[in-house]
Amino acid sequence: MNWLADTFADGFARRALVEAVLAGGFCGLVGVYVLLRRLPFLTVALAHATFPGAVLAELLGLNLLVGAGLFGVVVAFAVVGLGARERVEETSAVGVVLAGAFALGVLLLSVQPGFSRDVSAFLVGSILTVQQGDLVATAVTGLLVLGVLAALHKELVLGAFDRNGLAALGYQVAVLDLALVLCIQLTLVTALPAVGAMLAVALVVAPAATARLWTDRLGQAMVLAPALGIASAVVGLTISQHVRVAAGASIVLVAAGLFGGSLLLAPLLRRWAQRPPVAARSRPSGGGTVTDGGPATESGAAAAAR
Amino acid sequence: MSDLLLEPLRLPYMQRAMAEVLLLGVLTGVVGVFVVLRRLAFMTDALTHTVFPGVVIAHLAGWSLAAGALAFGVLTAVLLTILAANRRVASDAAIAIVLTALFSVGVLLVSRQRSYTSDLTLFLFGRILTVDRADLLTTLALTGVVLTALAVIGKELLLRSFDPEGATAMGYPGVALDLALNLLIALVVVAAVKAVGTVLVVAMLIVPAASARLLAGRVAGMTVLACLFGVLAGWGGLLISYHLSVSGGVRLAAGATIVVVLVAGFLAILAATAVRRWRSQPPRLGGSGGAKFAPSVDQAGAGFAPSVDQAS
Repeated sequence: MNWLADTFADGFARRALVEAVLAGGFCGLVGVYVLLRRLPFLTVALAHATFPGAVLAELLGLNLLVGAGLFGVVVAFAVVGLGARERVEETSAVGVVLAGAFALGVLLLSVQPGFSRDVSAFLVGSILTVQQGDLVATAVTGLLVLGVLAALHKELVLGAFDRNGLAALGYQVAVLDLALVLCIQLTLVTALPAVGAMLAVALVVAPAATARLWTDRLGQAMVLAPALGIASAVVGLTISQHVRVAAGASIVLVAAGLFGGSLLLAPLLRRWAQRPPVAARSRPSGGGTVTDGGPATESGAAAAAR
Repeated sequence: MSDLLLEPLRLPYMQRAMAEVLLLGVLTGVVGVFVVLRRLAFMTDALTHTVFPGVVIAHLAGWSLAAGALAFGVLTAVLLTILAANRRVASDAAIAIVLTALFSVGVLLVSRQRSYTSDLTLFLFGRILTVDRADLLTTLALTGVVLTALAVIGKELLLRSFDPEGATAMGYPGVALDLALNLLIALVVVAAVKAVGTVLVVAMLIVPAASARLLAGRVAGMTVLACLFGVLAGWGGLLISYHLSVSGGVRLAAGATIVVVLVAGFLAILAATAVRRWRSQPPRLGGSGGAKFAPSVDQAGAGFAPSVDQAS
C-alpha cells in the first residue's frame, strides 16, 4: 500500500482525493433518481449549461462553482418552462437549451484572450487544482442536496412510478419536478472540478446504471451507486496520477468499465445463483416503501411510461 | 448596408468560410428535420461526442478525419444496439454512458499530446476561418451523399417517424433504417467537424429544425424553413463575428456566434407564436400543469398532417 500513500502524499493530491470521494458519492446517489425518472438527457443538458456560468464567473473574478451553480439554476428553470410548452417537443427543448448554453460559454470564452488555455479545465475538469474553498462548497452543497432528497424521497419515488397518483394525492407535481431538477443541477456543480461540464453526467449515470445491473431493490441501489461512484473516482484519479493522463477522462472510463464489466458478469452470477434472490420476489403491497414490491426499479418506471 | 454584408466576402478565407456555412446550413437543415421528428436529439448529441475519438485517432495517425469519424459512428450504433437488447439498461442511460466513455477516450488520447488544449478546442469548436478548398470539396461531397441517400430512403424514414409499427408491418427493416439514419447523422458531423466542431454541430442539427417545427405544419415546409434558418443564421453569425472582431475589437468565435444567433431566432419564434396564440384564444385558467418530465408520451409528429405521402 506504500505506493498508494505516495500517490496522495502531496497537498494537492490529497485535496483531489477528497474531491473525488465527495463528487463520486453525491453523483452516484443522485444518479439513482436520475435513472428512476429517466432524465439522463436532461442531466447532460444541465451539465453543459453550467459551462457558461463558469466562464462568466471566471471573467468577473467570482468563484467558479458559485457562477456555475447560479447560472445552472437559471437554466433549470428555462428547461422546465420550455418543456411545458405544447409545440416544443421535450427532447428538442432539452437539445436547444444544451446547444445554446454551450455556445454561449464558448462565445464568452472567446472574448477573453487566451481562449484555449482554460477551456479544458471547464470541459473535462482539473481535479488537481481544487482549492480548500471548493471542497467546502462541494461538501455543503452535497449535504444540502442530500437533505432535500431525504425529505422528499417518498414523493420523488412515487412520482417516478405513478405521476397521476402523486397529483391525485394533492402534491404539487411541478414543484417536486423543479426540486429534483435543482438537486441534479447542484450535484453536477459539485462534480465540475473533478470531471468538468462534458463528463459530469458520466459520474451521475454510470454508477447508478451499474448498481441497477446488480440489484432490483431501490434501497440497495442507493447504497451501491454512491459506493461505485466513489470507487470510480478514486481509482480513476490514482490511474491518472501514475499514467499521466487527464484525470476526468480516466475517472469516466473507470466508471464505464465497471458498467461494462457488470453487464457481462451480473447475468452470469445471477444464473450461477440458480433461483432468483429473495429480493426479486414480490412482497405483499402496503408495507415498506412504494418500490419494495416493484419488479424492477427501472423497468417499472419504463412500464408506467408505456 | 450592402457594404456591411458584402465587404467581408472580398477576402478569400471569408468566401470559403461563407460557402462552407451555407452548405452546412442546408445539410443540417434537411437532416435536422429527421432528428427532430424522430426525437433523436439525445442520440445526435451522443453521436457528435462519440465520433470525437475517431477524429482524434485519424488526426494522430494521419488518416482522413472522415474515415475515423465514420468508424466511430458505426461503433456507437453497434454498441447502442447491443445495450438496447438488455432489459435492465434503459436506452437513455446506455446513450449517456456510451457518449461519455467514448468521449473520454478522445480526451485521454488528446491529453497525451503536447498541444493538448489547442487540439481539444480545434476538435470541439472547429476553426471555420481556416477551412480550405479541400475541406469545402469534402463538405460538398458529403452533402451530395447525404442528400442522395435521403432522396432514396427519406420516405421510408418519414414513415418510420410517424408510424413505426406500420412501417414494420409493411416489411421495412426498422433496425436497418435506424442504423442508416444514425450513419447519415454521423456523416453530417464529419462534414461539420472542421468548421464548427463536434460540439456545436448538434446545435445546427436541432435548433433550425425545432424552430421550423414551431411554424410549419407540413414536413416539406418544415424542411425548407429549417434550411433557410440554418443558412440565415450561418450567414448572419459569420458576419456578426467578423464585424465585431475586425472593427468592434471584440473577439467572437464564429461557430459559437452562429449557434447563439440560431438560439436567439428560436426564442424569438417561440415568443411570437406564443403571443399569436394568446391573442387568438382567451387565456386558460390553471396553466398547462407545469413541467412535463413524465416518461414522455409518444406523440411524435403530433400536429402534422397524418398522411405521409403529402410530405414527399
